[in-house]
Amino acid sequence: MTRPLLYGAAIFMAALFVAPFVWTLLTAVKTEAELYTFPPSFLPETWRWENFHTAWTKLPFTTFLTNSTIVVVLSTVGQLFSSSLVAFGFARFRFPGRDVLFVVVLASMMIPWDVKMIPLYMQFNFLGWINTLKPLIVPAWFGEAFFIFLLRQYIMSVPMEIDEAARMDGANSWQLYWRIHLPLMLPALVLVGTFQFMNAWNDYLGPLIFLNDQSKYTLTLGLSMFKGLHGQDFISIAAITVVLCLPPLVLFFFAQRYIMDSALGSSVKG
Amino acid sequence: MTKYASTALSVALAGLLPAALAAQEEGTLRLATWDDEESLEIIESIAAAFEAAHPGTDVQIEAYGDGYDTKLSAAMGAGNAPDVMYMWNFPAYAASLMPLNDFIERDGAEMDIDDISPALLDVSRIDGNVYGMPAGFTTHVIFYNRDLLEEAGVAEPEAGWTWSDLREKAAAASDPENQVYGFAVDARPDPYDFEQFYWSNGTQFISDDGTEIDGYMNSPEGAEVLNMFADMIASGEAVALNIGDDVSGSALFRGGNLAMFEGAMWNKGGIDESGIDYGIVGLPAFEGKPVKSAINSSAVSISADTDNPELAWDFVKFFSSPEAVAMRVNDLPVRASVAAETGQADDPMLAPFFEMLEVSEGTSPAFLKHEDWARMQENLSAAIEATMIEGGNAQAHLDDAVRRSARFLR
Amino acid sequence: MTVTTDTVVATSSRRRRRPVSHMVPWLFISPWIIGFVAFTLGPMLFSLYMSFFDWPIVGERTFIGLDNYVTMTTLDPQFWESLWITVKFALLFVPLNIAVGFLLALLLNAGLKGTGVLRTLFYLPSVISGVALVTIFSWLYSYRFGVLNYLLGFVGIDGPNWLGDPSWALVAIVFASLWGVGSTMLILLAGLQAIPRELYEAARISGVPAWARTLYITLPMLGPMLLFSIITSIISAFQQLTLALLLTEGGPLGSTYFFAMYIYDNAFKYFDMGYAAAMSWIMFGIVLLLSLAVMKSSSAWVHYEGEVRGKKGDKS
Repeated sequence: MTRPLLYGAAIFMAALFVAPFVWTLLTAVKTEAELYTFPPSFLPETWRWENFHTAWTKLPFTTFLTNSTIVVVLSTVGQLFSSSLVAFGFARFRFPGRDVLFVVVLASMMIPWDVKMIPLYMQFNFLGWINTLKPLIVPAWFGEAFFIFLLRQYIMSVPMEIDEAARMDGANSWQLYWRIHLPLMLPALVLVGTFQFMNAWNDYLGPLIFLNDQSKYTLTLGLSMFKGLHGQDFISIAAITVVLCLPPLVLFFFAQRYIMDSALGSSVKG
Repeated sequence: MTKYASTALSVALAGLLPAALAAQEEGTLRLATWDDEESLEIIESIAAAFEAAHPGTDVQIEAYGDGYDTKLSAAMGAGNAPDVMYMWNFPAYAASLMPLNDFIERDGAEMDIDDISPALLDVSRIDGNVYGMPAGFTTHVIFYNRDLLEEAGVAEPEAGWTWSDLREKAAAASDPENQVYGFAVDARPDPYDFEQFYWSNGTQFISDDGTEIDGYMNSPEGAEVLNMFADMIASGEAVALNIGDDVSGSALFRGGNLAMFEGAMWNKGGIDESGIDYGIVGLPAFEGKPVKSAINSSAVSISADTDNPELAWDFVKFFSSPEAVAMRVNDLPVRASVAAETGQADDPMLAPFFEMLEVSEGTSPAFLKHEDWARMQENLSAAIEATMIEGGNAQAHLDDAVRRSARFLR
Repeated sequence: MTVTTDTVVATSSRRRRRPVSHMVPWLFISPWIIGFVAFTLGPMLFSLYMSFFDWPIVGERTFIGLDNYVTMTTLDPQFWESLWITVKFALLFVPLNIAVGFLLALLLNAGLKGTGVLRTLFYLPSVISGVALVTIFSWLYSYRFGVLNYLLGFVGIDGPNWLGDPSWALVAIVFASLWGVGSTMLILLAGLQAIPRELYEAARISGVPAWARTLYITLPMLGPMLLFSIITSIISAFQQLTLALLLTEGGPLGSTYFFAMYIYDNAFKYFDMGYAAAMSWIMFGIVLLLSLAVMKSSSAWVHYEGEVRGKKGDKS
């Protein structure tokens, strides 16, 4: 295969994937009037950068940012720890009922949220967690099926001989998990961190259902307030969307190198 | 059991501390709205005025935008409804709302309830129980672009006009080459609003007693309405909306691409901002038949399980008081006195809304008449859309909708 | 490769080492068990319970036995229509999602310069929240003013009314869903890292061509991650809601009225929680059966380098 061809494909795909973002950015700096010209203009006539500031101050977005940050950080830490622990348990041990339990893990992803919502609400209400950030954080500390499955698959592609060697050196199960497997699954953990971060950051239904008070709102809930029943504030939506994309993008840019930085590919010497 | 316990407890407390009774109307009131960021300020200022008049109370506003129904149904389903909430879909929520009849009977005179249009109270009445106090409303009108009509060389529409007048003007103003359209027909209208055309053509979706749709939903008059709109699309007089894009009629109008468009109060703010030179006129009539408009009202209701019904009622009363009604500038005043005082009733840019309200008294929307209307309505929507896409054949599509809905009427 | 692993297991089990207590695996999976019992099991069973009731969101609840299940399968044409639409979507989406994700992962793994930036750019659409993405797509697809048809016009193609033509709308939704392929791409990319490089070295030295290395080394070794991607893609295909709800609202003429959207409408438009719950359990059954079938078949095509094998004689 020729390199130029690969570069061409990469650039074409990149353009395709970046287009929506560019479009959002261009919308964010347009004027209201320009938004409704037909056919739509591509570049804004005047670049109204102040739209970002205007949108941000229309609602207490700084408060929303604080809440989102709390939820994202705490839930991501919890998810990384708990799902790797559970995945290790499923991947590296044999115990009665394991395979049945694992099917239950998978099955727990398959019921749509619509019908789980009311019972969950009752439960959190009973616990006094409604209108707090807890419903958005605590469940992440108990491992989510999607991530457990992902990490289990990853651990199962790590050769058993690594475990054997560590056991021979006297490592117990915890040390095996903590010292050997956790570092080895770094690429997969970066994925779990990224996905959990994005899920929590972009979650709309959870905050909508479980939070009442504006002082508790997260960024997406704030964003949704630009959308009413009979119309929406396109420019503010676009501006906040662009701002919302940036923190995860920057973080992802720095984290993604670790996806490639696998100790495994080179560690196993035949 | 909990309920008895708390009652016993409060009785005991009341006996011990008579002063506690006086403080009964203090506390926090949760108020849920569907307001978006733009209209939130209005309700915030009304709540602030209420707090100022009722020291010791705290109104906690919960704004959910267009996620309102999802949120409300989760909270209600789990038995944790807000004390006071915006409401329009009374049939769906009535079981969890507090009937206000006793309150109204007690305080009606003080509230000057006759000042509120009976047509608006009708919308929140089920089986004789009033479940919400109207706070604002809108009817439907035609917005027209003065410049486009003048360019086309046709006269501006006047009250009492008909659909054939509209079609004539639309045909003259249409210039699809230059992306100018005479009128806009929504292929996926909200059936609640769409029933106004059925009424205006002398029919309705469902019989008065809510037991029949055959001969109503698919009546020849109904099919005539659908075919007329489909014909307007096919002939190029109108542009079709909601077939393949989400460009809205108000967006086209604001962009100066639409000569006439059917809309409501919620469109007016945006159109004002666009700087288009426009006028407003009532809906056109079908030849020789009285015109009717849908009435969209925002009411406020009280949760059946609120801990503080008196305070909640005080708030609802305040919300429909002349003072608060006058503060709502994003929809129309439900009180005739406020409309007269502010001069809104005589404002040519608002008067058509009030005229439409007046002529629409006595109409009864389908969703109040059958508990499964929401499901039947889905089939009706499909028939409307199919007619608009196909460019006619309404009768067959409507018959199909009636057939598919039959199981709900058994 | 299989031979190697078996040899390893065989040699290792001959050696002696400390037996692991029976409690240990349970300790490792205990967070999930606690979380499942606390936050998932209850709501799941409750929804099953609801499915036997006429359960309006507010008001009287009536036990009606299997009525909801009987009604949807015998009286409600929309149930079958929506199910068929969802199956069609899954048949298009799952293979495309895996194929595109795999090709992109290979591309990013080819060692091109600037790969870090490319990875970020490919993942970008997955970062944009659903609502904004939908707005963007309605602009792109718009018949009259859309960018897509404008671009197609340059190459002389008269683009269809993507979201307005019943025969194109489902395809349009499949394309829009593929914008989120970034997640699958990353998962497969991470999977690629776990493949020992010496396998490729050995193959290259023996003169195996690139395409054959991909087919005979990469694909089998990527098995565990492919299995994960297939099963989660099936689940997400059946739960596809946002795009249908916001982009087409199920139309035109019901051509994108997905099963999950019909569940949503039953819950939040018709406030009929019992019916929505019953539909959810039907969907649950279908997805579970499909997943189990894929899992079963996987023993033939997925190779686990580190599988804990054997019923007896294995102490771990």
